[in-house]
Parts: sequence; structure tokens; C-alpha cells
Amino acid sequence: MKHRYLVTASVAAMLGLSSAALADGEIIAVFTKNQTNPYFQNVRVGADTAAKSMNAKITHYIPTKPDSIPEQISQVEDVVIKKPQAIVFVPVDYKALVPSVEKLNAANIPVINFIDRLSGGKVESFIGADDYSIAKATAQRLIKAMDGKGNVVIIEGVKGALTNVDRMRGFNDALKDAPGIKVLASQPGNYQRLAALQVMENLMQSFPQIDGVLAANDAMAVGALEALDGAKRKSLIVGINGTKEAVDLIKEGKMLASGDYNGFVQGCLATQAAIRHLRKQPIPKEVLLKPVVVDKSNYQPYEIPLEQRKCPTIEEITG
Amino acid sequence: MSVTTDTPRTGLALPTEVSQALYRLVAALLICVVLSFLSDAFLTTSNLLNVLRQTALLFLMASGLTLVILTAGLDLSIGANIGFSACLAAAAIKNTGSPLVGFAVGVSVGAAVGFLNGLLVALLRIPSFIATYGMMWVAWGVTYWFMAGETIHGFPQSFRQLGSGYFLEIPIPIYIMFAFLLLGTIFAQRTVVGQQIYAIGANPMAARLSGIPIERRLILVYVVSGAMAGLASLIVLARINSAEGDIGEHLVLPAIAAVVIGGTSLFGGSGTVAGTLIGALILTLVVNGMNLLLINASWQPLVTGVIVLIAVWIDIRTRRLAD
Repeated sequence: MKHRYLVTASVAAMLGLSSAALADGEIIAVFTKNQTNPYFQNVRVGADTAAKSMNAKITHYIPTKPDSIPEQISQVEDVVIKKPQAIVFVPVDYKALVPSVEKLNAANIPVINFIDRLSGGKVESFIGADDYSIAKATAQRLIKAMDGKGNVVIIEGVKGALTNVDRMRGFNDALKDAPGIKVLASQPGNYQRLAALQVMENLMQSFPQIDGVLAANDAMAVGALEALDGAKRKSLIVGINGTKEAVDLIKEGKMLASGDYNGFVQGCLATQAAIRHLRKQPIPKEVLLKPVVVDKSNYQPYEIPLEQRKCPTIEEITG
Repeated sequence: MSVTTDTPRTGLALPTEVSQALYRLVAALLICVVLSFLSDAFLTTSNLLNVLRQTALLFLMASGLTLVILTAGLDLSIGANIGFSACLAAAAIKNTGSPLVGFAVGVSVGAAVGFLNGLLVALLRIPSFIATYGMMWVAWGVTYWFMAGETIHGFPQSFRQLGSGYFLEIPIPIYIMFAFLLLGTIFAQRTVVGQQIYAIGANPMAARLSGIPIERRLILVYVVSGAMAGLASLIVLARINSAEGDIGEHLVLPAIAAVVIGGTSLFGGSGTVAGTLIGALILTLVVNGMNLLLINASWQPLVTGVIVLIAVWIDIRTRRLAD
């Protein structure tokens, strides 16, 4: 009897192992928007890390011209032919890429949407963070550091860009709750470092005292910082993106905080979700990362180079 | 552009060009007067130096481009060239710790890209806007691959002086601007090669017939345009203290606008380096004014566009009157 149990047990174990082996080596196609924004680099490293730990393979698809709609559309067409097992997808444009996603649906390739929500098409799950709540939390961090008193300037991103619209809403809603803070100016820096530097220089001419700077992204925050340094002035500065440069400056005390999208975690979770879906494991319909504001108290995990970080699991994030 | 009656302009700067530049200087001064009424902060030493320093950067980018446009060409690659040169210079400084090496790398990479443009336009006879547009893509591609989505930041103080340093209380880029204004004007107006460049733009057929080595001059103007982009990239690097792949992306159109507003004709053959400086000044004053007056962000691109259109219209009208 014992012998039979042993045989059954070992056969079951072998079957289990072999089905796990059959399920591995999935090929996942990961689409990101560009090669220029360090954020997407983080996303790709997250995806690679998750795939490696779960024994799957990733092919990356990135437009050579940053954020190019026609290129992404043609990359999707390539992928419909090559037929990877699953797609992890952030659309360059959340409306223009819907027909492409529908092609993927028609080809029966499951799609996990991450970062920017598509306005149509069938996706198995959406994993993201939202600009509005990250911006609001970041602004609240600044307001807290200013004790709710003083004056600020806002350096906006590209007028009309969806991210900018949401981030400005977030900043302004946080400011509405702080009647002691005066917004001296809200001027566009176009998400560009040099432009933000020059805008800040100009604003400093009008306003001899600026207590806080709300920049819609880290590049502009650093531009503003350089302008202030050049004039030997100081302000509390916050940005958004949680880039390595921002983390270094937060550590040095030159920047107050940065709202973190954690591209790395989004890449991890979306890839995990894709692989789990292929392995017939359940995945949530939506995972929204809680906004994290990186500041002097919690920057340490961000110092670990990406390649050495481990992916959190979906449960760790949603739980 | 008529073929039979145009003669190449040679010799000293014609009064028309000087008066064109003067009209624009008056326009710039008018803007200054208006702004000083509308904003208390405008007419302060601090703001004026601020405006001049910002103008210096735009002028340096646009100065080499002026020579290209004088030959009736266009260099769309200067933005990408700035990004490319800045990134390579940044890597060089980080690896060797030497600002001088970074300086050499920045200018020579810029010039090298310019040289390639020159070859495409002069030898392969590819129209300049296509050749430089293609070069723009090549430069972007190599830059993004090289940077791999990373940023290089933090440069030695000695290097940063180039962009954020002062000498006798005046920002260093302003001195560089005037130095190149002088060099550029002497070159364009007082040297044979400079006058030949005007001739090529005004009437290429006549220029060739009068023995001007067109290919060599074309290559020269693109090399200069690229080298100036390289120089500008160093100042950008010194000011923003970081290098990223997309630094120059938004700088091409303002540079072209500065040249056009400054009175240089896109059809070639007429214009001045001084005009470009005034064009750069006008553009910088407008942005400065919009920031000082807290003009809503939505209106700002519109304002810039309108000014460029007005400048081109004035230019075309005055040429028609002069003919």
C-alpha cells in the first residue's frame, strides 16, 4: 500500500512538474512608448525581472521615433503575425491605438493594458497609477512641509497633454484645501529641463520670494532647481516621476519630494498578470497603484539599482 | 526668384541689410518699452541680464544656421545635433573628469554631424531639408541608443562656469554671444568666403559661373552650423547640469524662427548674423514678457507663432517695396 502511495505520489509530482515545464517559456510582447523617457526604461526592466523570475521570455517593442502612433500601429501588425502568447501594452495614444488592440483581440492574443488606460478594445486587466492622485499627494507633501503657509509657483508640462491636465487638476485640488498658500504663477515648462530653467529664471525676476515650486515632472523640477541655485536662492521643490536623479537630489536635501509612478513595479505587475493569465491563474480586472511620494524618509528602496530589485507580487500591492 | 536680372550681392554690407537690422532693433526696443510699462520687474539689471543670457543661447544655436539659410538651405538637424553633442560631451567629461575634453568632444561631434550634412547636400545633391531631416533621425537614434533612457548629471564647477558663471558681474554666455556676433559679422560681411556664401544663395547659377567653389562653401556652412550647435550644447549642458537624449528636441523651430524674424530670407542671399541676434532677442523678450505678465500657458505658443508670421510678412513686403 505504502509502495502504491509512493508511486502515485511520484507520478503526480512528475506530472505536476512537467505541466509546469510545459507552461513556462511563454513569449510576452511588451510595448512601451519610447526610448527616451527613463520612466519607460524602468518599466522594461520591471517586465524583464518579472519574466525572468517566472521563466518566461520578453520581446520589447518600442517606436524609434518617440511616441510615434504610426510606428506603434505597425508594430502591433507585426505582432499579430508573429503571435506571441500575450501582450503587455501601453498605447502611445489611448484612442488612436484602439483599432490595433481590436486586431489583437480578433487574433485571440490576450492583452494586459498598463500605464495609460485604453479607451476601447478588450483587455484582460489594467495595471496603472493615475496622474491625478500622484500629483495631489505630491502637492500635499509640499503643503505639509510649508506648514500650509507661503507662496508657490507651478511649472506646468505640455499644455493639452492628458498627463498634464490630470497633474494640474491634482496640484490645484490639493492647493484648494490649503487657503494659506498663494499661487504666484502657473507657467508652462513643456516638460523640458531647459525651458523650465528659463521660465523659473523669469519668474524669479517678478517674485523675490518663492517658497515652493510644484513641477509637473522631475526634469522640470531639476531645471527650476538649477535656476534657483544660479541665483543663490532656495525653495522647496517637488516633482513627479521618481527618477534616479530626483532620488539623488532628495537624498542630498536639494529636492523635497517626487511623486512616484514606479514604472518598475508597473512593468513587474503587468508582466506577472500576463503570465498568470496564460497559466490559467486568476488575475484582478484592475490594479491601481497607490500614490507614493518619495522623500527623505522613504527613498532608500529607490537607491537599489533596478537590476537588483525584486518584483513585488500583485497580492503585495493590492493587499 | 528671377534668374536673369538678379546679380549676386558682393562687397560690403548693403545699406538695405543694415536698415533691415535697424528696423528690427527698433522693434525689439519697442517691446522692451512696452514691457517696462506693464511690469515692474522687467527693467531691472537682473532681468535684463537674464534676458541677454537666454538670448545668447538661442543666438549661438541660430548663428551657424544663419549661414546655412543664406545659401537657401535649411538645417533641421541642429536640435538633434545639440542632444547628440551634449550627451557625448557629458559622457566624455564624466569619464575623463576634464571639461576641456568635454569641450573638444562637444564641438567636434557637432562639426562632424555638420560635415555629414554638408556631404549629403553638396556632393550627393540631396535637398537640404531632406538631408538634414534624415540626419536628425540618425542623430536621435544614435543618441537614444547611447543614453539607453538614462540621464548623465552633475558636472564639475569649472565646466559649469561656461553656462552659469559670471565675469565682472555679467553672465559668461553674454560675452560668448558678442564674440560670435563680431566673428560672424566679420566673416559674413568682410571676407571673400562670406560674400561667396551670400552669392550662392542669391543666385547659384551666377555663383558657379563666377568660379565660386560651391561644394566646398556648402560643406563649410553646414560644418559651421553643426559646430555652433555643438558649442550651444555645451552651454546648455553647463546650465542644466544634465544630459538627456531629448535635450535639443524643441530647439530647432525657435532657432529657425530667430533667423527668420531677424530678417534673413529663407530664399537665400540676404540677411545678417546681427539680424539673427535681434531675432533671438525678440523671441526671448516675448517669452520673458509672457512669464512676467503671467500670460496663460495656453496662449503662449499662439503668441510665438503670430510673431513669426508677422516678421515673415514684413520681410516679404519690404522686399517687394525694394524691388
